[in-house]
Amino acid sequence: MNLWSAWDVSATGLAAQRVRVELLVQNLVNSETTRTPEGGPYRRRDAIFMADPMPASFSVQLARAMGEPLVGVRVAEVTVDESEPERRYRPGHPDADADGLVAFPRLNPVEDMVDLTSAVRSYQANLSAMNAVKEMLQRSIDLAR
Amino acid sequence: MIGPTGTLLERYLDLLATRQRIASSNIANADTPGYRAKEIDFRAELDSLLASPRTSGRFPGALVRETWGAGARNDGNNVSLDHEMKSIAENVLHFTLASLLLQRKLRGLRNVIQEGR
Repeated sequence: MNLWSAWDVSATGLAAQRVRVELLVQNLVNSETTRTPEGGPYRRRDAIFMADPMPASFSVQLARAMGEPLVGVRVAEVTVDESEPERRYRPGHPDADADGLVAFPRLNPVEDMVDLTSAVRSYQANLSAMNAVKEMLQRSIDLAR
Repeated sequence: MIGPTGTLLERYLDLLATRQRIASSNIANADTPGYRAKEIDFRAELDSLLASPRTSGRFPGALVRETWGAGARNDGNNVSLDHEMKSIAENVLHFTLASLLLQRKLRGLRNVIQEGR
């Protein structure tokens, strides 16, 4: 019986969701940012998840060797939105072009808020799974008393 | 030493742990595009466990299958968080019950040993 691998799997879920939350918050914060180090307005970022067989964890490898399709999750890549920026007429703005148009990030805060809520819920679900495992491990320890 | 009931309880705890591992894996991948939820045929495993507690379920992973009947989302993922949460809550309760029974069994054994001194 090995519950530690379940613990490891939930930990990868927490880590991945945390990265996603960080990116979404970054999007919300930069919804009006017109200057970035790479030039131009800020571009929306999002995390793409992929199932991860986690070669680093021995307990997970053991479970897999015994035929269990146990996989964690990790952030495969961070996508950067390459769509055209939104141009707003702001003649007095220092970043305005000759026509008085300023390039603003093409961001939909509603979309980010919905994703954020979903990411937080997923984080909580992983935490619940972890607590369940903790409870079960505690019971196992009680057997030795 | 702990008799047929003890062995049965031990294997049952094993089975619950397996189900917990799979539920954790599903929850971690609730937002992974293309991931298909996994499950074990709990009833079938339990039946084979009751039929022959000493031999069955040595490798509980053998009966892991993909979840059917759950509607997949647009990204091909069909993990149902509600279903998984129900599964882990159930697991903890069953695990607590089974381990308490096993604990009682072991305590009884200890008493017997102490009385014999």
